[in-house]
Amino acid sequence: MIQVSFTVNGERVDALVDPRMSLADFLREKLHLTGTHIGCEHGVCGACTVHFDGVSARSCITLVAACDGHDVKTIENYETDARMETLRSEFSREHALQCGYCTPGMLMTSYDILTRFPDLDQDGIRREMSGNLCRCTGYQGIVRALQNAFAAKRNEG
Amino acid sequence: MSSTGIGVSVPRKEDRRHLHGKSTFVGDLSFPRMLDVAFVRSPVAHATLKDAEIDPEDRARVFIGSDLAAVSPIVAEGTIPGYIKTDYPVMARDKANFVGQILAACLGPSRAEAEDLAERVFFDYDELDAVVDAVAATGPGAPAIHPELPNNVFHRMEQGTDLSDLYATAPVKVTRTLKLARQAIVPMEGRGVVALWDERADQLVVYSSTQSPHLVRNGLAEFLRLDQNRIRVVAPDVGGGFGYKAILHPEELILGFLALKLKRPVRWLEDRREHLTAGANCREHIYTMTAFGDADGRLLGLDADVVVDAGAYSIWPHTCAFDAIQAAGILPGPYQVPRYHVVTRTVATNKPPIQAYRAVARPGACFATELTIDALAREVKREAYQVRRENLVPAAAMPYKAVTGKLYDSGDYPKSLDIALGAIDLTQLRAEQKARLADGRALLGVGFATYTEHTGVSTSVLAPLGTRLMPGHEQAAVRITPDGGVDIRTGVQSHGQGMETSLAQVASEVLGIHTDKIQVTHGDTALTPYSTGTYASRCMIMVGGAVADACDRLIARMRVAAAHLMQRAPDELVFRDGAFHADNASMTVEQIAYIHYFVPAELPEGMDSGGLEVTGGYRPKIDTGAFAYSTHVAVLEIDRDFATVKLRDYVAVDDCGIQVNPMIVDGQVWGGIVQGIGTALYEEVRYDETGQPLASTFADYLVPGCGDIPTIRLFKTETASPFTRFGIKGVGEGGAIAPPAAIVNAVNDALMPFGAEVAEVPVSPSRILAALEAAGVAPGLVAGARP
Amino acid sequence: MKASAFDYVRPATVQEVTAVLAENDGDARVLAGGQSLVPMLNLRLARPAVVVDISALDALKRIEVSDSEVTIGALVTHAALEFSQEAGPTFDLLRKVAAGIAYRGVRNRGTIGGSVAHADPAADWISCLAALDARLTLEGPSGARQVPAADFMLSSFTTVIGTGEFLTHIHVPRLSATAQWGYYKHNRKVGEFAEAIGCFVRDDAQGIRRVVAGALSSPPVRLFADQGGWPSAIDIAVLRAEVERAAPAVEGAHVHFHAAAVLRALQSGLAS
Repeated sequence: MIQVSFTVNGERVDALVDPRMSLADFLREKLHLTGTHIGCEHGVCGACTVHFDGVSARSCITLVAACDGHDVKTIENYETDARMETLRSEFSREHALQCGYCTPGMLMTSYDILTRFPDLDQDGIRREMSGNLCRCTGYQGIVRALQNAFAAKRNEG
Repeated sequence: MSSTGIGVSVPRKEDRRHLHGKSTFVGDLSFPRMLDVAFVRSPVAHATLKDAEIDPEDRARVFIGSDLAAVSPIVAEGTIPGYIKTDYPVMARDKANFVGQILAACLGPSRAEAEDLAERVFFDYDELDAVVDAVAATGPGAPAIHPELPNNVFHRMEQGTDLSDLYATAPVKVTRTLKLARQAIVPMEGRGVVALWDERADQLVVYSSTQSPHLVRNGLAEFLRLDQNRIRVVAPDVGGGFGYKAILHPEELILGFLALKLKRPVRWLEDRREHLTAGANCREHIYTMTAFGDADGRLLGLDADVVVDAGAYSIWPHTCAFDAIQAAGILPGPYQVPRYHVVTRTVATNKPPIQAYRAVARPGACFATELTIDALAREVKREAYQVRRENLVPAAAMPYKAVTGKLYDSGDYPKSLDIALGAIDLTQLRAEQKARLADGRALLGVGFATYTEHTGVSTSVLAPLGTRLMPGHEQAAVRITPDGGVDIRTGVQSHGQGMETSLAQVASEVLGIHTDKIQVTHGDTALTPYSTGTYASRCMIMVGGAVADACDRLIARMRVAAAHLMQRAPDELVFRDGAFHADNASMTVEQIAYIHYFVPAELPEGMDSGGLEVTGGYRPKIDTGAFAYSTHVAVLEIDRDFATVKLRDYVAVDDCGIQVNPMIVDGQVWGGIVQGIGTALYEEVRYDETGQPLASTFADYLVPGCGDIPTIRLFKTETASPFTRFGIKGVGEGGAIAPPAAIVNAVNDALMPFGAEVAEVPVSPSRILAALEAAGVAPGLVAGARP
Repeated sequence: MKASAFDYVRPATVQEVTAVLAENDGDARVLAGGQSLVPMLNLRLARPAVVVDISALDALKRIEVSDSEVTIGALVTHAALEFSQEAGPTFDLLRKVAAGIAYRGVRNRGTIGGSVAHADPAADWISCLAALDARLTLEGPSGARQVPAADFMLSSFTTVIGTGEFLTHIHVPRLSATAQWGYYKHNRKVGEFAEAIGCFVRDDAQGIRRVVAGALSSPPVRLFADQGGWPSAIDIAVLRAEVERAAPAVEGAHVHFHAAAVLRALQSGLAS
């Protein structure tokens, strides 16, 4: 077992962990932050996306032991965050979710790209979101939601 | 008309919790002392099993087939003519019949430790030759998977009339063999079960990511041999189903057994590798189609042979014959086919047991028929859309009795095609296509597919099959709450289609109450009326009708109260916008509810003692189904060097009758189309000759991502069904039906100048190159090739 | 899919890393960004006794630029290269390659050193580094050595990294301002590993001409090595013949795929 100390959603977490445990399992099983979902456990589907030191990362292929000294934020961190609220309302307006399983991961990646890119066209949005799989929506609403979010960002100047 | 009634794109109630990461999927549940289960799954496709080697220290936490003798094998029975029932042991005992079949359940305090234990359990076995090819399986010398089945055939069926005269005399005849690969369904959330013994209720409680909790309860009772009232099944949030979660699964029975035995909560969550290997279980069909036509391509008849690769077992309750029966019933499609003959065989192979994935056999049937229509068009040298159009059932013929006996209720199929044509500029595309052929740019192809889809199948359709999937009238319970709101309870379960919103809209339409004041509860057998569940695009028709019926009855009861309280005759009152009106007086539902619950002394004699709580029910009087329909067009480019397909434009013209929530309808069609694109271009699990699946992760099994698909242009028409409440038809599956057909028709349109044709999905680069090679175009010379 | 049990250490210095690796002689795996290793752990395809997390070695996270060379620490992420600001053809090529790797989440965490050391032949960096004639620094118990990128990979997932060694730096000779380059990656689906890679570098001011075919099931191959590194004509037939000659294990349609990937790299790079 390994002692780790890191921040999750702004709070310090100290734990003794099995080295093989993924960050995703730690968040879900030990901290009961179940908003982060597991879809493949080999880093392809993106359902497990969190923010690791401020950038989107796949928690299923992040060892919790390797989080020592780092900063992790999950979907639960962004309850009242303005940018996330914009994304939420666009996702709802554009019907960018159906079963909800891929949704937290979609939002976490969306938040990353909305933050890091001043603007993206549709091709850019599709490329940047290609690491988050969805089986329900056909991606139409997700792309439109992000187009709206980037348009709003342009208008803010 | 309510502001949140039928036809309004009411924002979904479900969204809030999902957007905040506050859903409750089965993997989010935790219970004290819960143990995790990992299965030992067969590494071989076909073997006789011998002893298990289990360390004595581990034995108490390992359960093998002989430990589960109290659990009956699953037996999917039916009165389907030509169907032979077989056993499906929940855990293999003497024989393993597919890679991934469960051999043992291992328990641990965590999934990781359960997997460690599973690695220490070894089964000795004698490997047998594997049956991997469904056609070869029926031949002499093929190993027998089930002793009861002659030539590995679960079910054989022949329908229609003899067409030998057409073979001899028809002016035009085309024959094609069309194949669909085996796929996995891949909902983003895998299956999952948490089972526990509830002491207070004296019940086995099974939480399962399921579309049909009451069906699962039926199955648990039957095969665990328990009374139903000792069992409760709860579907929490379900992360996609698409049919994968609409049946009883061995894992549900095994976990139920373990919970009863250990009196501790037990959990199993399907991981992606399990799903892609043990769950590679759908779509694998072979169609041999012969279309007979006149010189213009007008159909004279259709002869079809269908082989369904059904895997090793017959699933419950549908039986493995479901796919073939459905294919036989819909192959004539939206066309006027004067004469029809079909033979189907549902064949056992050493692969996972076939399940009905979104639209079941309709994508396969549409693929077979639409490619055949295009082949017919090429044969008579006419544009495929023209031949298609001339064969479509015209609107004036509705309701139309198809050659299969199915009654197409309403629709304008030619208009669907015309709208699709109008959405693209075919003249311009043909010009571009020609230019590209000459100048060496990527090849351009345009393909069409039109289908009609049997939604809302009910008693009359399923009764002859005599299986345990037997819907009757559908019930819904509706209560007016003391504050004038509405509680709805239904035994179906949403897995993305937003029924917490859309069913509320139906009640809103009838009662005139805002959906904000309407709560839908579903998915829990303890809380809801019986239902066969969410499948076959039935819920909006059936549950919508039941909710409306319950609301009608509540209005009738409230009318009696309102008449008394307003001192009018009941028939003087008009119910509108959530209130009873007469002259300049009115009384709202909320006011009536207040009196009913808090001042019942003021109610009249003759009030129904059932109060403001009703279980309504519904089944269309003519319950033979409501036929939704659509035309899709695919415009694509084929890279001359790599033979990769890039979709440039995708148009769908959809008609699902009257739409309850147009936004939700859009989402169902988009999602279905992208799954169809997956079927068309990417998804397959191939097997080697020993029955080993060759895909086990997303590195091998490719699922469409955001960057792989174009914007879908969706057009809709609304042609009401004359048979259903509000004229609704089902829409949950339709989008997935046409893409393989439209896309491969487009590929073949692009390849036509080379005389090459693809007849299989997924249409991978290697299949395109093989088609070109068969036509004499050497691989690698596509870049410079001219026809 | 949970990994089998292992010990985990996160050394603070290069020497500690090499000591642990040497001590565990083949039964230890180096963890950088985890994007390649952890999936294999979860699938139980890798079962090391020890995972050695090198992420504490901050010195390996730097990109250092001199007039002649770019030195990239093994822990530099794909995203850091994707968004690098340095001008010039060298960084233009590095940015192009980085931007096409997998997906946003993988680029954020995956490292160039981890990718190169993992030695998946279909991965992007190794082909690009072969075209750039990069050198790789390996640190071991007895010190550091440099290996040319072209010699680094022996076969799929196998490299010249020896017992106790790990990759610390990648040295890329800088191209002249007038150099031309091209990179083309063919795959069936956005973000997937390549089925064919074409990469070229042409820097006449330094007399450099290299054309590389990658994503073979083996290390990338330098084409036209005996002819001054350059095709006689920018032509598919010439490229096909050379792919067949230089990579005889490639069969059937894949010969054309590799030739076409190289052709597209050449066409796009020479046009600009």
